[in-house]
Amino acid sequence: MAASRPLVSVYDEKGQSTGKSVVLPAVFRAPIRTDIVNFVHDQMRRNKRQARAVSDKAGEQTSAQSWGTGRAVARIPRVRGGGTHRSGQGAFGNMCRGGRMYAPLKVWRKWHRKINLKQRRYALVSAIAASGVPSLVLAKGHSIETVPEIPLVLTDKIQDLKKTKEAVGVLRKIGAWSDILKVYSSKHTRAGKGKMRNRRTVMKRGPVIIYDKDNGVKKAFRNVPGVSLLNVERLNLLRMAPGGHVGRFVIWTESAFKKLDALYGTWSKKSQLKTDFNLPQPIMTNSDLGRLLKAFEIQSVLRAPIKRQARRKVKKNPLKNIGLMSRLNPYAAVQKRQTLLTQLKGRRTGRTAESKAAARKERTHASLKTKRLSGVNFVKTTKTQKVGDATKTTTITTKTKTSVATKSS
Amino acid sequence: MTDTVKKMDTKTTTKKAISKVPEVLLKKRKLYADLKAKRLRAQVQATKNKKYKRLVIFKRAEQYVSEYRKKERDLIRLKRSAKVRNNYHVEAEPSLAFVIRIRGIRGVHPRVKQVLRLFRLRQINNGIFVKLNKATVQMLRIAEPYIAWGYPNLKSIRELIYKRGFGKANKQRMPLSDNSVIEKALGKYNIICMEDLVHELFTVGENFKKASNFLWPFKLNNPKGGWRKKANHFADGGDFGNREQYINQLLRKMV
Repeated sequence: MAASRPLVSVYDEKGQSTGKSVVLPAVFRAPIRTDIVNFVHDQMRRNKRQARAVSDKAGEQTSAQSWGTGRAVARIPRVRGGGTHRSGQGAFGNMCRGGRMYAPLKVWRKWHRKINLKQRRYALVSAIAASGVPSLVLAKGHSIETVPEIPLVLTDKIQDLKKTKEAVGVLRKIGAWSDILKVYSSKHTRAGKGKMRNRRTVMKRGPVIIYDKDNGVKKAFRNVPGVSLLNVERLNLLRMAPGGHVGRFVIWTESAFKKLDALYGTWSKKSQLKTDFNLPQPIMTNSDLGRLLKAFEIQSVLRAPIKRQARRKVKKNPLKNIGLMSRLNPYAAVQKRQTLLTQLKGRRTGRTAESKAAARKERTHASLKTKRLSGVNFVKTTKTQKVGDATKTTTITTKTKTSVATKSS
Repeated sequence: MTDTVKKMDTKTTTKKAISKVPEVLLKKRKLYADLKAKRLRAQVQATKNKKYKRLVIFKRAEQYVSEYRKKERDLIRLKRSAKVRNNYHVEAEPSLAFVIRIRGIRGVHPRVKQVLRLFRLRQINNGIFVKLNKATVQMLRIAEPYIAWGYPNLKSIRELIYKRGFGKANKQRMPLSDNSVIEKALGKYNIICMEDLVHELFTVGENFKKASNFLWPFKLNNPKGGWRKKANHFADGGDFGNREQYINQLLRKMV
C-alpha cells in the first residue's frame, strides 16, 4: 500500500548477519498516528491505579453547632463544651482547622478507562511501525548508532538463553549495550513523595525484546536494567510507546518477527490471529511532500509565485511633477514650451500679459478721469498747499487731455 | 526508498556519452524555456504597443487643444456678430456641472440623503461631475442646501483630474498615475488617456456617464480662505446652491 516492503536481515547472537532475511511485515508500513498513541497510552495508564480516598469520617467527628448571630463571632459551627482548647473552635467547614476537606475523595471515582478495541489496536500498530523508523527511535533517545539494522531481528537462539551473563554478551555483540549504559547513567532518585513509598529510584527505558516462545529469555534478560520483555501475541502499548511517545528500540526474534504478518495482517489479507482486524488505511497514499510539491500534476495548476509584492505607491501631482505629466500627456511638454515661448517673446517686445493688463488699467483710469474733469471744463482749479505756516495758493488752468497723457510712461 | 534513488544521480556526467538526467528536471527546463520565450515575445509586443499608443495620445491631445480653442473663439465670434447686427446670441445652457457636498452627515432629511447618495456624495467636500438635464437639475434642487455647484471650466476640470483624480479599478480607488488605469476601464469607449477623459467630461460626450462613473468622487480640501456662510444660498451671501461660473474660483481654493 504505502511503500515497498524490503528484506530485513536476521542477525545471530554474535551480531553477525546470517544469510537469512525476512520480508518486512506490513505493520511497519502502517500510518504512525502519534495522536492516537498518546490518547490510548494516556487512557491505558489509568488502568493500573489503586483507589485512594479520604476517610468519610474525617473532620465530621464533632458535634459542633453554630452559635448563630449576636455573639460577635463568625457563624461557622463551633465545638461545644468547655475545658479544652478545642471548645469553641470552628469545625466541619473546609476552611476550618481540623474540619473536613472540600468534596471528600471517594473510592468510587472512575479509576479505569475503557478504550475501544480498534483504537487500542491502531495505537499498537502505530507504535510498531514507529519502531522501524531509525530517526524516530533516535529521537526517542535510544543509542542505536552501533546497531546493525533497524528493525533489529535476531535468531531464535535468543529465546533459549538462560544466563543473564549470556544475555549481556548478546546485547554487547549486537551494539545495544550503549543504550543499556544510558539506562545505567540515568538512574536517579525520584522527585516527590514516591521516594518514601518504595519507589525510590527512576531510570530510562532501554530496548524491548519481543519473543515468540519463552525458553528462558525472560529470566535471562529481566535483570538487565532498562530491558523490557514482551511476547508478540501480547504486545503492550505502555512498553512499546513509553510515556506516550513512539519509537522505542525493539529487538525482535525471528519467529516473533515472522508472526507479525499473521497477527496484524497485510492490507490485502486480514489478520489471522485477531478477529476482524486489518491494518488501518492511511489518509494519503503518497505522503512524500517533497515529491508532491514538485510533481507536474500539481505545479501545472498552481499560479505563478508572487516574488515581489506590489506596494502602495505615493501619488505624485502631475501639475508639479514634470516627469509624471509627460508620462500621462506627451503633448503637455509641447504646450508648456509654447506658453513659455510666448511669455519670453512678450517680455522682449513689452507685450506680456502683465504689461497689457497694466496698460489696460491705465487707459481705464485715464478715461474715467477725463470724464470726471470734462464736466468742469476749463475752470481755475485752486490747489492749496500748506507749506509750514504760510499757505500758498496756486491757480492752475489746465487743458485736461494733454497733461494727463504725459503721466503714462 | 527506491524512488528517491533516481534523484541522486543528476547531471554528474560519467565518462559515457549520454548522461542520465531525471525526467522531472527535463520537464522543468522545458517549461521554463517556454515561459521565457513567451515572456520575451510579450515584452517586445508591449514596447511596440506602448510606442504606438503614445503617438495616438499625442495626436489626440493636439487635436483637443485646437478643438477647445475653436469652441471658445466660436462663441465669441457668434456673440460679436450678433451684437453688430443689434441681435442677441443666446448661448446654449450649460450641460456640465460640478457638484460639491458642503455639509456633513448629521441630521440629513431622508430625501436629501437619498439624492446625495445617488450623486455619490457621501462625505463632506466630495465632488462629482454631473450631466445637466431636467432630471438631474431637479435632483440638485432637492439637495440644494447641502451642495455648492456650478459650471466648471477647462482649467478646473484638468486640475481636478490631474491632481485629485482617482479611478475605480476592481472596486478599488486607484490613483490615476498612469494611462493604463484609464485604458483598462474605459478602453472600450475609446478613452485611453487623461486628455481623453478630460475631453469626455468637458464636452459632455456619449460616454460621459461611464467616464464620470469611473472617477471616484473627488475628495477636496476645505477652501483656502474659508467659506462665506454655508447656511445661506450663494445668492444671499452664502455658499450653497448654484453659483454658475464662480464655482471655478471656489475650486481653485479647494483642489
